[in-house]
Amino acid sequence: MRVGVLCSRVRVEEKLIFQALQDRGVDSERIDDEAITLDLTGGLDGYDVVLIRCLSHSRALYASKLLGENGQRTVNTYEVIATSGDKLLTSLALAKRGVPTPRTRVAFTAQSALETIEQMGYPVVLKPLNGSWGRLLAKINDRDAAETILEHKHTLGGYPHSIFYIQEYIEKPGRDIRSFVVGDETIAAIYRNSPHWITNTARGAEASNCPITPQIDRLSRAAAEAVGGGVVAVDILEAPDGRLLVSEVNHTAEFRNSIAPTGVDIPGRIVDYALEVAAMEPGRLS
Amino acid sequence: MQERGVDYDRLDERDLALRLQANGLAEGYDLIWCRAISHSQAAYALSILNGWGIKTVNSDQVVNTCGDKVLTSMALIQHGVPTPRTVVAFSVEAALQAIEEMGYPLVLKPAVGSWGRLLSKVNDRDTAEAVLKHKATLGGPVHSVFYIQEYVDKPSRDIRTLVVGDEVVYAMYRRSDHWITNTARGGEALSCPLSPEIRELSLAAAHAVGGGILAVDLLETAGGHLLVNEVNHTPEFHGAAKVVDVDIAGKMADYVLQMVDW
Repeated sequence: MRVGVLCSRVRVEEKLIFQALQDRGVDSERIDDEAITLDLTGGLDGYDVVLIRCLSHSRALYASKLLGENGQRTVNTYEVIATSGDKLLTSLALAKRGVPTPRTRVAFTAQSALETIEQMGYPVVLKPLNGSWGRLLAKINDRDAAETILEHKHTLGGYPHSIFYIQEYIEKPGRDIRSFVVGDETIAAIYRNSPHWITNTARGAEASNCPITPQIDRLSRAAAEAVGGGVVAVDILEAPDGRLLVSEVNHTAEFRNSIAPTGVDIPGRIVDYALEVAAMEPGRLS
Repeated sequence: MQERGVDYDRLDERDLALRLQANGLAEGYDLIWCRAISHSQAAYALSILNGWGIKTVNSDQVVNTCGDKVLTSMALIQHGVPTPRTVVAFSVEAALQAIEEMGYPLVLKPAVGSWGRLLSKVNDRDTAEAVLKHKATLGGPVHSVFYIQEYVDKPSRDIRTLVVGDEVVYAMYRRSDHWITNTARGGEALSCPLSPEIRELSLAAAHAVGGGILAVDLLETAGGHLLVNEVNHTPEFHGAAKVVDVDIAGKMADYVLQMVDW
């Protein structure tokens, strides 16, 4: 058994993954995504499974595609990375599976975006389709803010800013929930507590344990299944009326701050899942 | 120009390649009147022409000052011309702190730019954070300087005057339901009586930036004061021509010809 870990940098998460592999006596290798080149028909030789832990979504996306197409098993798969790495595709996958998610609209020009925002009412949230760590999220409380943010996005231009992803703002109780799904199990969940509406731990939110209620478990697994399974982190919002809504799914989540509060060996569980994938009969791979 | 029997050429800045060592244009113009649309192209062309000793309207110094809101504000303040409270910061964090201290609403403006582009009215902290992050992502020299100004609650209009040399040629209102009153953004031109206060303030603002042919934007505060908001070095006046009974182009041409002999 030989496991490859494709990554850009060895962060705390990747160190813990290598440690878990070592603890299990598994031969593993770091594959530097800044050094490798892939050809269209070759892939990488000698790995039973490759864990994709790239910092950049686009690298993860195309690496998983090239590896997967050449018969290399990856965690996550291209399908999961493609869907969960794009907020629009995620929302669509969730909505199609009946997973409750905030009201979302998509517009293709600043003008039509402004009109739809005015119809939806304030506040709303504008999000780039790709992006992590809460970057360039905008909470829009009035028309003045909508006009200037849309103009800035239009000026930024390029692929991610030319699609306007507009979502109702959910008034959260000073926290959201992040659950970790591995395969078909919700292994852990944390509250991310923050006085700021952006609750990413990368932005200073504090993690505390969140008991996995049957509802959180069901919703988390449904969200994971909607994007194609694998190893994902699911962001859940608690609406004022008590509903739970899935806002995002993440394919290469950071988990360093979630181990201590939950007491769950997240890297160990990820590695165990990857080893399971590596050992699966070809017919059982979905 | 034609009516005044003056020999003139149109120079398209897109056709020019100015050889810096050449020390002058072969055609030997007495003066070059710059109407280039791009601020950066105007500023560099005028710096080269003035460097060669060729007279221009406006001068490179005036264009550099007016084309940059930070330099305009400084010039106004140094000459005692009333202007909105303004803070400049160089990082998102410092800008956010300054904004919180100034209070809302306020306006963020790119230091360089026209037609009301990328102006932001910021009514709360959520907006401040989002706009500053977007500006930081836009990056470049313009968006790395945060120009933060108190929002002046105008009576759905501002005042634009045209100064030509020592004369205020006209004043007009730009009426708009939007807080951005540029005629390029749909502001409606209406005639405005040229009061002594408007005249005095316009001349003071023009003088502060170095004088020439300039458009001065004035804001009426709720308390009845006038503040100079901006000074523009290459004013468009097609909007004014409909509401003002003055030969605007003629006034400008006379000034330019006067500068030839000055």
